Amino acid sequence: MEWAWLIPVFSFFAAPLIVLFGKYLPSKGAFLAIVAIVLGFAGFWVVLSSWLAADTSSSGCFISENTHLLTCNYERTWFNAGVLGEVGSVTLHWGILVDPLTIAVLGLVTFVALMVQIYSLAYMKGDPRFGWYFAIHSLFAASMLTLILADNFLLLYVAWELVGICSYLLIGFWHERPSAREAAKKAFIVTRIGDVGLLIGILLIWREVGTFSMVDAFEAVRTGVMSEGVTTVAAILLFLGAMGKSAQIPFHVWLPDAMEGPTPVSALIHAATMVIAGVYLVARAFPIFEAYDADALMVVAIVGLVTALVAATIALVATDLKRILAYSTISHLGLMMLSLGAFGVTAAVFHMMAHGFSKALLFLGAGSVLHSTEFQETGEMGGLRKVMPITAIVFSIGALSLGGIPILAGFWSKDEILVAVNDNLNVSFIILTLFTAMLSALYMGRAMFLVFFGPLKEQNEHAHESPLGMTLPMMLLGVLALGFGLISFNWPGSYGGLGTFVYFQHSHEFHFEIWIGVVSILLALGAFIAAHMIYVKRSISLETTRSRFAGILRVVENKYYFDEVYQWIIDRVVLVFSKSIAFFDRAIVNDILVNGPADVTRKFGIALRVHVTGHVYTYTLAMAIGSAGLALFVWLRMV
Amino acid sequence: MVDLVWFQLLSAVLFVIGLYGVMARRSAVLIVMSIELMLNAVNINLIAAASHMEGTGKFTDFDGQLIAIFIITVAAAEVGLALAIILRMFRNKSTVNVNEINLMKW
Repeated sequence: MEWAWLIPVFSFFAAPLIVLFGKYLPSKGAFLAIVAIVLGFAGFWVVLSSWLAADTSSSGCFISENTHLLTCNYERTWFNAGVLGEVGSVTLHWGILVDPLTIAVLGLVTFVALMVQIYSLAYMKGDPRFGWYFAIHSLFAASMLTLILADNFLLLYVAWELVGICSYLLIGFWHERPSAREAAKKAFIVTRIGDVGLLIGILLIWREVGTFSMVDAFEAVRTGVMSEGVTTVAAILLFLGAMGKSAQIPFHVWLPDAMEGPTPVSALIHAATMVIAGVYLVARAFPIFEAYDADALMVVAIVGLVTALVAATIALVATDLKRILAYSTISHLGLMMLSLGAFGVTAAVFHMMAHGFSKALLFLGAGSVLHSTEFQETGEMGGLRKVMPITAIVFSIGALSLGGIPILAGFWSKDEILVAVNDNLNVSFIILTLFTAMLSALYMGRAMFLVFFGPLKEQNEHAHESPLGMTLPMMLLGVLALGFGLISFNWPGSYGGLGTFVYFQHSHEFHFEIWIGVVSILLALGAFIAAHMIYVKRSISLETTRSRFAGILRVVENKYYFDEVYQWIIDRVVLVFSKSIAFFDRAIVNDILVNGPADVTRKFGIALRVHVTGHVYTYTLAMAIGSAGLALFVWLRMV
Repeated sequence: MVDLVWFQLLSAVLFVIGLYGVMARRSAVLIVMSIELMLNAVNINLIAAASHMEGTGKFTDFDGQLIAIFIITVAAAEVGLALAIILRMFRNKSTVNVNEINLMKW
C-alpha cells in the first residue's frame, strides 16, 4: 500500500513518451497509455487487498478519529518554503491517503479509464491527432488518480487544476471547430471561478492549521482548533470549487457545452471521473463539512437538490443525444451532492460508482450511435436497435439502471440516497428527490425510445454495429451497470455490504425502506411506461402535452436562460467594468505615469539643445566672452 | 628702452586679430593659423614682461622665456595634430569648411 503512489506515476510517464516517441511506435504509442492504465487498475486491486489485510499495526495505518475508518497515510517531504523553524516557513509534503473512499473511487476511475481507452482505439482510429489524444488521456488519468490519492490539499489542488487543463484540451480536441474552442474556454473559465473559492478555502485552512495535510485539518476541526465560523466558511469555499468541477448550479453551464469533445472524452471526463471530483472533495473533506451542526451540509443539500431538479427538467426537453446525457449527468451529480448533504457518504459514493459505470456506458453507446449514423440529434434517429443490436441492449441497460429499475445498479444506489434523504432531511426534500428520480426515469426512457425504438429511418439503413473494440468495453460496463448493485447487500460471510466499507463514523448494514422502495419502483416503472406510450406507441399525444405546458416549456427549453443571463452579465457588467479598467490603464497608468516623465524629459531636452549649434565660431565666441568676463571679474576684484 | 606698454599693445592687437580669425574664418587651416597667431601674441607678452621685470626679484630671471619655449613646443605639437585632423576631415568630407562640419550637433 505504501507504493500506491506508483498508480498515477505510470500514466504520468506514458503521456510524454507518447508525445515524444509516439510516431516511431506501433499504433502511435496508444498502447503505452493502455498499459499504464492497466498497471493502474492492477494497482487498485493490490491496494484493495492490502488494505483489507491491514490493521492498526501496519505502518502508517490508524483508525481515524474523524471518520472511524482504517486510514493509511504515507507522507513524504516535498520541499521547505522559507527558513525552517522561522515564522512563516512551511514544509510541503506529497503523500497518499488510503481509506475506503480512496479505494472505491480508485477502482471506478481506473476501470472506466481503461474501458474508455480501449473503446477510443477503435473510435478515434484515423484521427490525425490520434497519439496526442492518448497522451492527454494518460495525463488526465494520472492527474485524476493523484487527486484521489492526495493526502494534502495542496497536492489535491495541483491535481485538480491538471484535470481541468486536460479537460480543456480534450473538449477543444477538434479545435478546428469554433464551437469546440468556445466550449473548451467556457469549461475552463467557469470551473476556474469555482477554483478560486477552493484555493481560498485551502489557504484559509492552512492559515488556521499551519499545514496542508488533510488528516491534520480534520483533527483541528474535531479538537476545536478551527472555530465554528472559520470551519463553515472553509467548507463553503471548498464547496465552491466542488460546484465548479461537478457542474452544480449556477456553474453547470459548461458541462453541456463540453459535449463538443470526442464522445469517449465525454464518457470518461464529463460523466464518470472528472466531474465527480467535486463530489469526491466534499466526501473527502466531510469532517470539515459535518462539524459544528453541519451548516455547510445544508448548503450542499440545497444546491444539490436544485441542480438535480433543474437539470432533470432540461434533460427532458433537450433534443441532442449527448446533451440529454450531459444534463442527466448534472442531475445525478446534484443527487450525489444532495446525498452528501443528507449525511449519506455511503450513498453518494455508491451512486458515484453506479452512475459512473452507467453513464460511461450510455456515452459510449451514444458514441457508437454517432459513429455509425453521423447524427447527434435524436430526431434523426429511431429504430436503431434493428441495425445495432448490441449497442441498443447495453444502452438500454444503462438507461434502465439510471432510471432506477430494480435489480440494476442505479436502483440500489438511488435507493440508498432516498433512504439517507428520508432519514436526515425534512419531508419536502424526499418529495422533490422522488420527483427528480421520476424525471430521471422519464428522460432516460425518452432517450432510449427515441434512439433505438420506433421505425427505422431510411437515412440510417446503412448504419451498422460498431467493431468489437468498441462493443467489448460497453459490454463490460454493461455487466457492471447490471450487477454492481450486488455489492450493497450484506452477503452471508464477512462482507456486510457497502455501508460497512465506506461510511462516515457509523458503519451501517444494508437496509431497505419498504415504502420508499415501492414508491420509487412505481415512479420509475410509470415513467418508463409513460415514455413508451409517448415516444413509441404515441398513444399519449406529445403535441397536446406540449401545448398544455407551453409557458413552462419555453423556459425549460431555453435552459432557464442561464446562458442568456450570463451573456448579459458578461456584456453589460464584466466587459464594461473591464473596459473602464483598460481605459484607466491606458490613460492614467500608460499615458500619464509612464509616458509622462519621458515626455517632460524630451521636451526639456529640445528646449536645451538649441545652444549646441555645431558651428566652431559659436563655441569660440562663447569661449572669448567667457574668458573676457572672467578677466573682467578678476580685474574688478583686484582694483 | 621701449616702454612695456607698447609690447603689450602689440601683443593685444595680434591676439585680437587671431581671435577674429578663429571666429570669422571658415577654412580650418586658417583657423589653425589664427590660433598660432594668438599663441605668439601671448609669447610676445611673456617675453616682454620677463625682460622688463629682470632684476626686480619678483620672478626668477628666465620664467618668461621658459614658458614661451614651452608654448612654442606645445604649439608645434598642436599644429601637427590639428593638420592631421584636418587631413582626415578632408578625406572624409572633401572640405575643410568648418561650417559644414557639424556632426557634434544634437
